[in-house]
Amino acid sequence: MRTILLRFGELYLKGNNRNIFESILIENIKKKLEGETFKFSKTFGRYVISDYDEQRESEIVSKLLKVFGLHSLSLAEEVDADYKSIEDAVKKINLGKKTFKVVVKRADKTFPMTSMELASTLGGVVLKANKEASVDVYNPEVEINVDIRLNKKAYIFSSSISCQGGLPLGSAGKGLLLLSGGIDSPVAGYLISKRGLKIEALHFHSYPYTSERAKEKVITLAKRLCHYCDEIKLHVVSFTKVQEAIHMHCAPEFMITIMRRIMMRIAERICKRDGLLTIVTGESLGQVASQTVQSMTVTNSVVKELPVLRPCIAMDKEEIMQVAKNIDTYETSILPYEDCCTVFLPKNPVIKPTIERAEKEEKKLDIESLVEEALQSEEIVFLNGK
Amino acid sequence: MIYLDNAATTKMFEESASVYKEYACTNFFNPSAGYGKAVEISKKLDEVRELLKKRLSVDKGDIIFTGGATESNNLAIRGSVRSGKWEYVFSEGEHPSVYNVAKALEQEGHIVHIIPLGKNGQVDYDEIEKVLNDKTRLISVMHVSNETGAINDIKRIKAHRDRLSPKALLHVDGVQAFCKIPFSLNDLGIDLYTISAHKFHGPKGVGALYVKNKQGLKNIIFGGGQEGGYRSGTENVAGIMAMAKSCEMIDTEKNLEKVKRLNSIFKHAISGVDGIEYIEAGSPYIISLSFAGVNGETLMRDVQDEVIVGMGSACSAKKAGNRVLQSMGYSAEKIKSSIRVSFNAYLDEEDVAYAGEMLVKKYLDLRERVR
Repeated sequence: MRTILLRFGELYLKGNNRNIFESILIENIKKKLEGETFKFSKTFGRYVISDYDEQRESEIVSKLLKVFGLHSLSLAEEVDADYKSIEDAVKKINLGKKTFKVVVKRADKTFPMTSMELASTLGGVVLKANKEASVDVYNPEVEINVDIRLNKKAYIFSSSISCQGGLPLGSAGKGLLLLSGGIDSPVAGYLISKRGLKIEALHFHSYPYTSERAKEKVITLAKRLCHYCDEIKLHVVSFTKVQEAIHMHCAPEFMITIMRRIMMRIAERICKRDGLLTIVTGESLGQVASQTVQSMTVTNSVVKELPVLRPCIAMDKEEIMQVAKNIDTYETSILPYEDCCTVFLPKNPVIKPTIERAEKEEKKLDIESLVEEALQSEEIVFLNGK
Repeated sequence: MIYLDNAATTKMFEESASVYKEYACTNFFNPSAGYGKAVEISKKLDEVRELLKKRLSVDKGDIIFTGGATESNNLAIRGSVRSGKWEYVFSEGEHPSVYNVAKALEQEGHIVHIIPLGKNGQVDYDEIEKVLNDKTRLISVMHVSNETGAINDIKRIKAHRDRLSPKALLHVDGVQAFCKIPFSLNDLGIDLYTISAHKFHGPKGVGALYVKNKQGLKNIIFGGGQEGGYRSGTENVAGIMAMAKSCEMIDTEKNLEKVKRLNSIFKHAISGVDGIEYIEAGSPYIISLSFAGVNGETLMRDVQDEVIVGMGSACSAKKAGNRVLQSMGYSAEKIKSSIRVSFNAYLDEEDVAYAGEMLVKKYLDLRERVR
């Protein structure tokens, strides 16, 4: 019977919590495969997807490749774990002129042959069935794996496909991603989701200084992220009044610093209101003036109780772009619509701001009313990857 | 909501929509088929060819139906290209459907001259004169600028052509001129002329190319050989018939008088406001304006619930910069602060006055906020 064999990686490290992680992972797998008919079963250290429509195998695999917490998968033939059944399955493998070796693993030590014996015997079977094939134990073109599990089944497969890795989505709780429309923030969302954090997203628009298209672009990006994150609740908040007020009252070089401090305040309010545990941003050290250590110190200082996670902090732009291309957000991110960070842009933003100076500038504003008014404008969009 | 972006597209006449429906749902036959009903359709299309020629005031030549102006322009230019060291002349003010073909020809190794615009938005005629020679194959200059309304003096270009490059073809993109300003192709001596239905209250996705002498043109699309082989693909019969209806319903002279009035009403409404400037370019259908101190796109969005205005070529509105205004010597700042207002003849005079006042109000408010 044709099956998909799933392996999970880091969950091994989780000791007593392993069951919790596993149950989240299993739930995520089943959710991802919603709409498909299949049977899910567990054997020690592996999951098996079987009884699915083989016509839909590539779609099912493609969905599984987007599940965080899975390490690799193989398309395998499942047979009863007796020598005859295994031999029959191995005989059917068509190798042509390729070189091969047979690797046997026995989780079930009651199987009457040792791994070495079985590998060597099956090697002979393969050679007999493929007259032009030859054995190469060091650098084979095809590795035939025979995996004998405790459920008294053997799985025969020839390759493993790498999956996302990471930890099951939701196992780290839930956070709020600041999603701008640029290249970095969707990547930050993806990377942090990969570590198990479920995300909601917060987007600031500055209509009429920014266009409806800029907002649509962010919705598209969030939808793309949903291919990995299943669903995203997107909070859209108007930043127009805030920006106009800063522009009117504060020193121009502090525009971005104060903007970001107010964004952080709004983000923290939403987190606390909605029970989100952390704020996530796409900042990368030194990329722009607002992403120096000094700038981050000043923006961070308004967040009183939550950690601010910055998954892209040590990545080069090129590396970030590569991830964006891999997760299919890059082409959308580079569409040329202004976002709220590109309007009212000062010629010379301050690179090394201080908290004291920022606070002095902010005295010119009624921060509480601005934050409150921005929150009043909040719209919610529920998105999923379907 | 008052719609003042008629250079981007116009609302289809109800009557044209009815004709469209008739030829989409009742007389839907393929004009290339052999039975009587199809032959009838084929005859109808020929009647539309005659109608368009009449409206263009031209006796000789043919009409090729296309999928719109972009296709007509591509056919006119690409269809005129010949191997060998020929030269091609375009203006800097052309719509992307001409300009980008010119750029493609240049990349393919052809000799391409792009002629700058003068301050009034018209092509620099002296510069055209300088580049013309007996190797010139094609001159392509638009009739009325979609950005500024500037009307190019086609007769003057033709005179240069006749004297310096008698073998060269003259192509004119007439999208903003046909059914808007009166002219006669017989007088202008044009070889190829582009029109687009949705700019004169017809449907989108249909247009035509007038061709004086088909021998000089090569097809660029290959297929079933429709339109004499020059534009394969089943004719958009419903679109063509609806285009004809719109064309029939328009009285160019009368509409022009009305639009002149609307134009002056609008200008009156915005007059005397410090910071607003506009170009007196030619066609009253289009006004290019600048609003000092604000971003034109922001103003466009801020006013859109009341008045819809344009940002120059809608086809390229997503891209930064404006090549046409740049060529006219506008500073980057002024270009950023520009918008385009364009009329149709069926607007209400009071609405147009209100639209002008509303733009002024929103401008002053926005200017205060970004000061």
